[in-house]
Amino acid sequence: MEEEGGGKVRVLIEKATTSTEPEVDPRLLKAIKSVVRRSDSELRLAAHILMDLMKREHSQVRYLTLLIIDELFMRSKLFRTLVVESLDQLLTLSVGFRNNSPLPGPTNVATALRSKAIEFLEKWNASFGIHYRQIRLGFDYLKNTLKYQFPNLQANAARLQQERREREKKSKEILLNKFETLKKNFASMKEEIQSTADEIGECLEIVRAKEELLCPLDDEDMEEFHSYEFRQLRLHSLEEAEKIHENSENKVVFDALRELYKLLVMKHLVAVQEWISVLVRVELTDNRARDSYLKEFIDIRNHIRSVKKKCEESGCAIPNTTNHEEEDFWEEGKIGSIESKSSSIPNNRTEDSVASTSKEVLDRVPECHANERDGNKRLSRKDGATNSDPLRSKLLAEAPEVNWGSYLDNWGSKRDVLANHRGLELESHWGRVDQDAVIPAEKIAELNLQTTLYKEQQVEIQPCRAPLSKGELCQRRDLRTCPFHGPIIPRDDEGKPLNQNPSKDEKTPDLGTDIVEQLAKQAVKNVREKDKELARKREIDKKSLKRAKLAKVREHNEAVLRDAAMASTSRSVDIGEDWVATNGENRSSRNKKKALASMLQKKETPKDRLAQRLLNTRASAATVRQLTLGEDANYREAFPNQW
Amino acid sequence: MWREIGDREAGKLRPNSFSNRIKSNRIQTLQLSNRKDIVSPHRGSVNSLQVDLTEGRYLLSGASDASAAVFDIQRGTDYEGGGVIRKHKCLFMVDKQHEQGHKYAVSSAIWYPVDTGLFVTGSYDHHINVWDTNTTQVVMDFKMPGKVYRTAMSPLATSHMLIAAGTEDVQVRLCDIASGAFAHTLSGHRDGVMTVEWSTSSEWVLVTGGCDGAIRFWDIRRAGCFHVLDQSQSQLGRRPPILKRSATIKGSTAKSLSASQSSFAKARTPQTKLMNAKQSPVGKIPVKGSLKQRLHPGMLSSQDRATAHYGAVTGLKVTEDGMYLLSAGSDSRLRLWDVESGCNTLVNFETVRLQTSKPIQLATSQNLALVFVPCMTAVKAFNMWSGKTSLTFRGHYEHVNCCWFSLQDQELYTGGNDRQILVWSPSRSVSDEDEGPKDEDNWSD
Repeated sequence: MEEEGGGKVRVLIEKATTSTEPEVDPRLLKAIKSVVRRSDSELRLAAHILMDLMKREHSQVRYLTLLIIDELFMRSKLFRTLVVESLDQLLTLSVGFRNNSPLPGPTNVATALRSKAIEFLEKWNASFGIHYRQIRLGFDYLKNTLKYQFPNLQANAARLQQERREREKKSKEILLNKFETLKKNFASMKEEIQSTADEIGECLEIVRAKEELLCPLDDEDMEEFHSYEFRQLRLHSLEEAEKIHENSENKVVFDALRELYKLLVMKHLVAVQEWISVLVRVELTDNRARDSYLKEFIDIRNHIRSVKKKCEESGCAIPNTTNHEEEDFWEEGKIGSIESKSSSIPNNRTEDSVASTSKEVLDRVPECHANERDGNKRLSRKDGATNSDPLRSKLLAEAPEVNWGSYLDNWGSKRDVLANHRGLELESHWGRVDQDAVIPAEKIAELNLQTTLYKEQQVEIQPCRAPLSKGELCQRRDLRTCPFHGPIIPRDDEGKPLNQNPSKDEKTPDLGTDIVEQLAKQAVKNVREKDKELARKREIDKKSLKRAKLAKVREHNEAVLRDAAMASTSRSVDIGEDWVATNGENRSSRNKKKALASMLQKKETPKDRLAQRLLNTRASAATVRQLTLGEDANYREAFPNQW
Repeated sequence: MWREIGDREAGKLRPNSFSNRIKSNRIQTLQLSNRKDIVSPHRGSVNSLQVDLTEGRYLLSGASDASAAVFDIQRGTDYEGGGVIRKHKCLFMVDKQHEQGHKYAVSSAIWYPVDTGLFVTGSYDHHINVWDTNTTQVVMDFKMPGKVYRTAMSPLATSHMLIAAGTEDVQVRLCDIASGAFAHTLSGHRDGVMTVEWSTSSEWVLVTGGCDGAIRFWDIRRAGCFHVLDQSQSQLGRRPPILKRSATIKGSTAKSLSASQSSFAKARTPQTKLMNAKQSPVGKIPVKGSLKQRLHPGMLSSQDRATAHYGAVTGLKVTEDGMYLLSAGSDSRLRLWDVESGCNTLVNFETVRLQTSKPIQLATSQNLALVFVPCMTAVKAFNMWSGKTSLTFRGHYEHVNCCWFSLQDQELYTGGNDRQILVWSPSRSVSDEDEGPKDEDNWSD
């Protein structure tokens, strides 16, 4: 019976610890626990087996064993007493603090094992240290002698709690202080508010009285309108009339009213709201005082609101509390509008420049929304206008963008410029000057030639996103092929390729044929591009000379840079990387059959791969051949008379 | 246990054997004490431990950070964990900050055997300091020619107050507290002296073990050493049969003595008790010495070159009756010598490995026939006659340097390189764990 049970626990533990997962299978763990719980002999056996397993020269096994040990340790007293007996051994095997017995591979698991062991030791010490001197000793030794850093989970939690409590206490104190000051100042505050409200009331009175004085005739007219509609209309108009309009006579009153309104809304109302919130939050031993204050404040607030409403109804004050933000906004808008004005200067010149400059402005001032919208509208209008002419729109689309500058002032003018004519008296100071000297338009155009810097388009290089062994995705950014995971293809959140087949066809070429194919593609593309360039040139030739020049320069630059970019980054490298890519593929498939033993194998590093390429027989033979050739040549040169 | 008490009550069991049985029962259950914590103030390895011989209450420790501390092992200073754990903080400590303190590691710290008013520390800074316990001031200071490895004072001495010091130097010096000068310089060793030990049967006999592997016996009343132990001279068994008669005499005297002692409530320590009982061997040693004296000075050169261990002798311990000597060597051997015959008794102790670079301090409990030996990170208790391991104490995380067994409390104190002083006490038979949180099973599923 016992033999059988013992076998069971052994099998279960063996099974649970021969996995490559970072966790123990919860079902197995549960099974172990239930088996072990039933009898003490099983528990003893389990402790024995677990300690044996800790001695395995494999960190993964030790890690899983440690997890099981922790589970049982937290639960069974007998298990604790058994484990504690050889705690130093357990710590040696899990923390690896002795120089003569370091933790076995794989290294990443060993690191996890060590940190886990330290964490567990801290936990054990916190919960059972009082009963077991050995745990206290081990903890003390690791902490104070070897100076290991413990995660200090409990202490941290306690500290956070303490901090929070202190914060709360402080805020409570502040509230209390506020309440005290409120008690002191309440009467004066109330009075102030009351006086403001009263003043507003008086002002309103005055205004209304004046108004009434102004139109006393209205009542007489009233009888004439009998029908309902008319009356209705009249009521409306009267209401309109009620809204007293500012004029030169009551300007002073209105100003005062506005001032008072502002005071009321900006200061008193805000203050009262604040006090109410303070009163709601404050905690007192005696709540009656607070309640009474609260009541009064609510009354005051209601009063202020009613006064405010009255003010707004009377029309003396514009109910816009958001005035300030708007003002800020408008200021920014102004800047924007100025810019747009400036940008609209070249409006009357060529469309190209307009398009370019306004775009510039948009880029520069994206925050001025109003302007942007304006600009957009204008642009769209322009587009609408030009859409009728397809050629023109095409030209617009490919038109170069030029920077804003003073040279745009005489953009497109084909006039000659008088060289010595600046309208100054000093002109002929150094002798006679040919007043009619002229700089030809072509020369001007040449002088106005602008340099443009090629800006490479910022392309977001996609990360590889292939799944890694630690469960994350590869974050390497390569243009086409990741040296570890092969060609970069679109992948989903888990790193699985989305549409593998088409992308494979395109991007993971076989060694021989595909290079040829690619080269062919490239050649075709190049030819086409050249054709396009020619066509474009012809088109442009028909246009003005300057345009042609500018475009030519730009075109040339572009072509040169494109070639350069092509040579340095894309295909040329890709061809070389094919070998690596295919190799990577193979490796990943190999990785799939993971086992404990495979975890111990050294991972293939770039260095290894390089070594494989450089140190293979063919390469070394070639090098040797080259070297000997060189030596021969040297020898012959040194002793030309020998054969 | 109850049966034994009944037997004792009925007079079937003699008081001595009764107490021995109880004690050995308790010793069999020695384990790391959870209820008694000595809070080590040392920041270096603990090199020496001794409980005072008069009261059995004050533990003196010497450590590598040039400090020495005294603990009260009977009364704790504070409690922890709801009164479950009793902490013993040091009563006082002398270290480098003390203006008269040692500069380098304290290798040996011993109590003055007569009372606890003085203690002696020997250090690697070539000094031996004699301290007044109450004022913690140095009352006497001896400058030695080299690093001091071990100091010893005779527990029996009534006519001298000599500190025997083993140093790097080949000569063993005896420092006289009464005069403050070196009384003797004993030359004979060919290398530094790792360990010195006074005989527990004669106040004149000193045993020294050197790095040259020799164990020499000195009679301080005469010049030169009178015996060198030779590992090749051996005898089988505990003792030649001739001495059977004296053993029975010894047994009877011990019996009568302990019977009379039981009326005095532990007035003196066992060591001093045994002094009177061991009159006969004490008388014999000088006789033997005088026999050898004929060969002296110089003895036979072959005899003078005899070694007790291959390599250095790192630990010496004379049993409480003074008849046997235990020695530990850097050859990882533990040897039991018959002092009378000077022969190796060929007991094969199951030591695995011993620390070789430092002197180690052994402890014995004679009437239980146990010897406690620091074996690397553990302390092992061997049966003295069979050499079998009876107990293993694992708790230190680094090498253990010293141990001290207190027969009075049946407690073992061990000090190691991990700066800790651990207490090993008999497990409590009575379950009186009422106070504090309980340690229970906690199965959630």
